[in-house]
Order: sequence, then structure tokens, then C-alpha cells
Amino acid sequence: MPARPITGALLASELMLQFRRRRTWAMLLALAAVPVLVAIAVRVSSGPPSGRGPAFLDRVATNGLFVAIAGLTLSIPLFLPLTVGVVSGDSIAGEASQGTLRYLLIAPAGRVRVLLVKYAASVAFCLAAVFVSALAGVLIGALLFPIGPVTLLSGTEISPVAALGRLALVAAYVSVSLLGFAAIGLFISTLTDVPVGAMAAAVVLSITAQVLDSLPQLEWLHLWLFTHHWLGFIDLLRQPVSWDSFGDNALVQAGYVVVFGALAYGRFLTRDVLS
Amino acid sequence: MNTRRWQRWIPAAVIPVAVVGGALALPLQAGAAVPLPERSPQEVLTLLAESEVESFSGTVEQTSDLGLPSLPSLSGQDMGLGAGLEALTADHTARVFADGPQRLRLQVLDEMGERELVLDGAQAWTYDFRENEAVRLTLPDGATDRIESRLNELESEQTLTPSAIAERALAAIDPSTEVTTRDNVRVAGRAAYDLVLSPRTADTLVGSVSIAVDAETGMPLRAAITARGESTPAASVAFTELTLAAPADDLFTFSPPADADVTEKTLPDDSAQFEARSGEHDASHDAGHGKPTIVGTGWSAVAALPAGSVPADVSSSPLLLEATTAVTGGRALSTALFSVLLTDDGGVLAGAVPVEQLQAAAAVR
Repeated sequence: MPARPITGALLASELMLQFRRRRTWAMLLALAAVPVLVAIAVRVSSGPPSGRGPAFLDRVATNGLFVAIAGLTLSIPLFLPLTVGVVSGDSIAGEASQGTLRYLLIAPAGRVRVLLVKYAASVAFCLAAVFVSALAGVLIGALLFPIGPVTLLSGTEISPVAALGRLALVAAYVSVSLLGFAAIGLFISTLTDVPVGAMAAAVVLSITAQVLDSLPQLEWLHLWLFTHHWLGFIDLLRQPVSWDSFGDNALVQAGYVVVFGALAYGRFLTRDVLS
Repeated sequence: MNTRRWQRWIPAAVIPVAVVGGALALPLQAGAAVPLPERSPQEVLTLLAESEVESFSGTVEQTSDLGLPSLPSLSGQDMGLGAGLEALTADHTARVFADGPQRLRLQVLDEMGERELVLDGAQAWTYDFRENEAVRLTLPDGATDRIESRLNELESEQTLTPSAIAERALAAIDPSTEVTTRDNVRVAGRAAYDLVLSPRTADTLVGSVSIAVDAETGMPLRAAITARGESTPAASVAFTELTLAAPADDLFTFSPPADADVTEKTLPDDSAQFEARSGEHDASHDAGHGKPTIVGTGWSAVAALPAGSVPADVSSSPLLLEATTAVTGGRALSTALFSVLLTDDGGVLAGAVPVEQLQAAAAVR
């Protein structure tokens, strides 16, 4: 029996299920609301003075494209991990709690394939979440503020079109930096039949990692944390582009994906699926 | 069933162990011996003096672990003292692009911003992204030509070969400092000799100063200062990446963003004024007292500003109170490499020595 068509069909049905859910739409809407709220808040107030307030917020009033960057910067610490944690934490545990897991596992699907498909669906959500947030930022920014040449961190001005290219790079970076966390969520999800527990554990882990990352006493640990490079997308806004953090980030995320993927595999293949 | 269950856990156990082991083993390889032809300290100094690298692009990392308290209240303060302490306590990464002796671009990569310095002949720009401020510095007409002709003059006067420069430098510092080399190192992926300067006196806080000299080009790749009795450097500046090729031309032309605040500054012409300016910072609070006096020689020298140099409002500022500790005779800032003593009568003593020596110097002053 050919393996690929089945994996493809399984993935397609999983993605359909994922993006048809009202929960997924609600989370994407909430993520899109972040840049919209930022833009409206800056629009109705006079905006923070230059050099003050959260990163890039002071640039929003003069250039709408900064809304997307400011929105992403605000979403990265909490909103993005929250939503990705919900999706990945629910992936296996949700099926188990609804009693549908054993139907999924009836041959010919196989457990490895189910695991891969579930992870692929989480990855698809990561991409969707980040790009929806960036797109909402661009649209509301264009609506409320002037769009013009964008000043990079190095003081170089680039055209709006080139700036959109940089923004796409930033969105790719942020999506990649969520992959390790999605793998952790998947592993936690294999441990339990209670989806809420898995979601909460995953989100708590992401916050713990960020707290550890902010303690200077634990500097030796920082390079190993999956959250360490989360704000490193900033290096893509320099001139010339500094690719170091993109590479470092991808390497760390790949490490987490491999390690927690293997752990999830070990757990899921040895687990007794009763429900 | 039991054995099969156990076997299925094998990849789950092996892969994390392999990944973590690999990640731990990679940095260890960096510590492996670097084979290079043997050279004496003088030969390494010659190599350093011969270095003619003028075009490169690289990433530089500055780290400091001075044992200073990290002051959370510093962040966001733009007063001079706060910025000075920030430069001392925080680590920085910068990109450097150089094309010949007159064109340079320095980018200090901050976490959510960037600070620029662009030099192109007599034109210079600084730019701060977070403040969106650009400053255009203009050197006075002919200043660069004069500097260059002065340099040429110096060169023709002395007609020193690199090896003679190395010999003289060694002779000059030999009474106070022992110059040796230690195991070759790898910096920014390049093999380098590691030159070590160790003070001959035990009175100083400095244990050694090391300079990594690129074996191929003689370019300094790393400078590090280690405190007495420590094994890891208290402060270091090192390349983490280096490319020996001329960077893109457009990096050296800067035009400020349309919405930036631009100020123009012309540097003063007279070189004597220049010298006065460099001394100005220390004595700016009291124009009448002038330059600091130096007590002692070599590594244990102490620089002293007379009583009344520091106005009371500065010495009682909360930031200063937070950074310093009370000692007999004043307040002291004590770090791994240097100490500063602010005496009760408003004098300042500083040096690469323990606080006790500053107190002793203050007593006999």
C-alpha cells in the first residue's frame, strides 16, 4: 500500500479539521486584534515620544508599516505562545479525551504518522498565526497612517516594497522560532488525556523559559533556552542583514524539535491507548 | 511485550543524548591545540607592527565581568554617569566595516535598536535608531591632510622597521612588564598567537593583559584583561567573525532618514584645543583645577584629582550612592580591575589598584 497518499489525506483532513474549528478562528482573530489595537491606540493618542515606550511604537505614527513590527513584538512573549500552546497541547490529548484517538490509530494510519500529521498541523497553525498578525498590522497601518520609506535600524531608508520583503523575513523568523515550542507542546500532549492540562503546562513552560532568560545569573543557560532568540528577528532589520541570529535560532529550534519529537515518539508508541 | 516497549524507547533516549552530547562537544573542539610555527614574543610583536590590514568586515564582541553590581535602575537613564556605567557593566556586540584608513562604519547592535558611526574622510555621521537622532560631524578643512602629513613626517623621522618598533616597545615596557606568549588560540576561526603582558608588581589588580595576534596578517583579533588570581578575563574585546575583504561601498555613505533630528557639529580646528577637550571631561566640574596628577608609576599608578573636583550634588546623586560603598575617607567603587575613591572633600582617586592603596594615596596627598 502506498504510504504517501494516506499521509497526505490524513494531513489534509487534519488541516481541514484544524482550520474549520471555531477555536482556531477565534485565536487568529485575537492575534489580528493586537496590531489593530496598537494602531488605534497610537492614532487616538499622540503616541509616545521618540525613544520611549515599547520598541517601535514611537515609529508607528510616522510609518504604518511599523504597526506590523510593533504588533509582532508585543505578541511574541505571550499571545503567540499562548495560542500555539493551545493547539499543540491539544493535538494528542484532545483526541484522547474525546475518545477519537483509537479510531485515528486504527491501521493503516500508524502511530508515527499520526504524530507527524499532528505536528505538521501545529506548524501550519504557527505559520498562520504569525502571518495573520503581520498582515493585520500592515493593513491597519496602511489604513490609519502614511506609508513611506522605512528606516532600518542602521539608519538606511528602504522602499515600502523592500520593507514588505523584510517583514516577510521577520514573519518567517518568528514562525521558525515557535517550532521548538510546538514540539514541546506535542510531547506534553502525549503525556496526558486532559488537553487543558497539556495546554497550561506548555504555556507555563514558555513563560518559565522567558523568566529564566531574563536572569543574568543564569547566563550559561540562556543559549539553550528555546525562547532565547525569540526577539532576535530584529537582526533582520539591520543593514546589511545580520543572518547570525536566524541561523542560531534555527539550530536551537531544530534541536528542540528533534529532542522533543523523539521523546513524543517514545511516549506515544509505548502508550496504551484506551480511549 | 515488555522488551518491545523498552526497545521502542531507544530512539527517544538516544536522540536527545546525541543532540545534547553533540552540542556540548562542539565548543570543546575550539579548545583543541592550534598548530603554528614557533615565534618568540618579540617576533609576535613584529608581526603585530607589520600588520597592514585596512579593509575588513567583522563582528566584535565586548564583554565585561568587572564584579560591579548590575543596576536595574540604569536602564532608560540617559545621564552621562548612567551611560558610562552601562558601557562598563553590559556586554556589547558591534559590527565593524573598514575600507582603508579613512573609511569606517561601526554598528553597535542593541537589543531593540542600533547606534551607528560612519566615517568617510572628513565627513562623519552618528545615528541612534531609538532616539532617531543623527549628528553630522565635520572635521575642519584640511584636518585629515594635516593628520596624514604629520603621520608621514613621523614615519620619515623615525624610519623604524616593524621589528625595531617591536624591540623598542619591549625595551620600554620591560622594567614593569613581563612579555610572554602562551598556547596558540583560535579567534573568529583564525589561528592566532596569544601575547601575554604580565605586570611585575603585585600591587595592581591586573593579573595579565593578553592580545591574540592573527598568525597570517598580524592583525589583533582579541584583547583581554584578566584580574589578579582569576582565570577568565574580566574584560575582553574580540572578533567573533572576520572577513578580510573590502566591504560594500554604499556602507560608507550615510544620509539621515527624512524624519530624523539632524544636528551639525564642526570639530574645533586647533589640535591644542583638542587636547584641552580630552582633559575637559575629567575636570569639567571645576575648571580651575586642571589635569589630574599621577602618583606612582607603571601598573600601580594612581590618578588623582584635587579636593573640590566633584560638586556635592553629583557626589550625593542616588545613582552614585547606589554604585559606590562607604569606606573610611569617602565612597569607593571597587571592581575586579580598577577602583575609584571619591573623598569626602570632593577629590577623586582612581587606579588599577585595590581601594586600600587609593586610601593610602589620599592620606599622603
